[in-house]
Amino acid sequence: MRSYVSDLYTAFARVFTRAGYIVLASALALAAFLFAVWFPNFALIGEVFGTPDVALIAKLRFALSLLGGIATNFDLLSAGYTVAIAVLFGINTAMIAYLLTQKRVVAAGQNLVIGSGGMATGALGIGCAACGSLVFTTVLSSFGAASAVALLPWQGEEFGILGAALLLVSVSLMSRKIAAPGSCETPARGVGRTRDRIATPVNVKRLTFTQLDEVTKR
Amino acid sequence: MKPETQNKLAITVVVAAVVVAAAALIMVMRMSYPPDEARVMRLIEQQLAKQDGSAAVPALTEARVVRLIEERLPAMESAGKGISEARLKKLIDERLAGKSALPDKEFEARVEKGIVAFIEKQRRAEQERPNQLARNLPRPNKSDHIYGNPTAPVTLIEYSDFECPFCKRFHDSVKQVVDASKGQVKWVYRHFPIEQLHPVKARKEAVAAECAGELGGHDAFWKFADRFFELTPSNNRTDVDTVLPQIAREIGLDEKQFASCVASGRHDQRIDKDIRDAQTSGANGTPWSVIVSKGGKTYVLSGAQPQAAIKQLTELALQEK
Repeated sequence: MRSYVSDLYTAFARVFTRAGYIVLASALALAAFLFAVWFPNFALIGEVFGTPDVALIAKLRFALSLLGGIATNFDLLSAGYTVAIAVLFGINTAMIAYLLTQKRVVAAGQNLVIGSGGMATGALGIGCAACGSLVFTTVLSSFGAASAVALLPWQGEEFGILGAALLLVSVSLMSRKIAAPGSCETPARGVGRTRDRIATPVNVKRLTFTQLDEVTKR
Repeated sequence: MKPETQNKLAITVVVAAVVVAAAALIMVMRMSYPPDEARVMRLIEQQLAKQDGSAAVPALTEARVVRLIEERLPAMESAGKGISEARLKKLIDERLAGKSALPDKEFEARVEKGIVAFIEKQRRAEQERPNQLARNLPRPNKSDHIYGNPTAPVTLIEYSDFECPFCKRFHDSVKQVVDASKGQVKWVYRHFPIEQLHPVKARKEAVAAECAGELGGHDAFWKFADRFFELTPSNNRTDVDTVLPQIAREIGLDEKQFASCVASGRHDQRIDKDIRDAQTSGANGTPWSVIVSKGGKTYVLSGAQPQAAIKQLTELALQEK
């Protein structure tokens, strides 16, 4: 547990000390949050913005007023995981971008899959407890999703919690990758070929020149 | 590659991934409620897949198009991008009568073009669906419970569930907006008990509210609703056997008559009608509201939105002529 926290700290110190990643994470977190809060009323927002007689300031004021829905249209749990998913989505994507800049495409790809799974699962949980998950009831209504959701103990909020957990796992795994040095693992003493051992930057740091000579002579 | 270029490349990849994910989500959402024609097309494709031999294909496609036009799309207007319904029908009639001068391939291409244009039109209609459906809602009438000035230019029609905790919050917000509107906004309360989520209780409470209205008039209905939301914990945790008689007593109704009314089932039909109206107008959950301007323009508001949003929307509706 301690090592996870330490990796998280190291990874954050590497990624989020650069303005570009902070901006990227914040922008994506905001976009995800707006999506979740406005989701039930996208059509209405479109309708209001499409009305020519209404002043732009009134349209913007209306859109902003709907953001208060996080307090009125969500219960404490759903508001909590909605904010968590938005923030974790921003962090997750910024970390993936960081890994890509380090040319660690495989690690980035793995976490892209977990993170996307988290977002997709979390998206299913968007909605309110009273009417069930809105994505379920609106999009999947033809498959009897409302009844299925009613059978779940938290009426679909499970998906939001699962989504947040998956994103958290993804961030945690990426932190390990970012915190670990970008080199081969050091083999245990006496194991592996000499060439491999001395080729790693970690070994070079640890061995004195005398020891290095001894190793190469063997 | 320079680090700056790498950064730009990485950000571009991530942004592209997000865009692709968003597009995929939109596609999934569209596919989940496709136009009937697309669904029919898929069924036909499945049927075709089961059949071995291409000879069956043109006949089945023709049969499908004939059914589409003759049975399902009598009012289809001329499709913008493709050929018109009349032309399409004529082509098919000719084809079936064996008089078609068109070669097979051209015939199929034209039919396909007509179908694609129609589906496109359906999709556009689907996007405008919430407001179109809401326009079909029954307008306020004598049987409705109206709060505020009955002649107010703006009407907020709410579909609500007495066991929904968000309806409870929304109830207070709407009341404050109507009270502050100086007679410009009226509020119509209709029932949408979600029985899958709140079995038995939500419906019984809706019936009890109607009974309050029957025995004590619209004022009693509103007193009942206000007091009910004030007293109860929502989410099917209400002790209906205690709370309902208690409220009836508090608002001055005859308890025996009230109990007899609730047990009679004479308001079931009304509740069912409200549920049907809500569903056919596009409601998926509660609270679900439609704000109607004097000129009949509708704004569909989903969920327990904050008081500020309700106020803004009613003001927009007031500006409508």
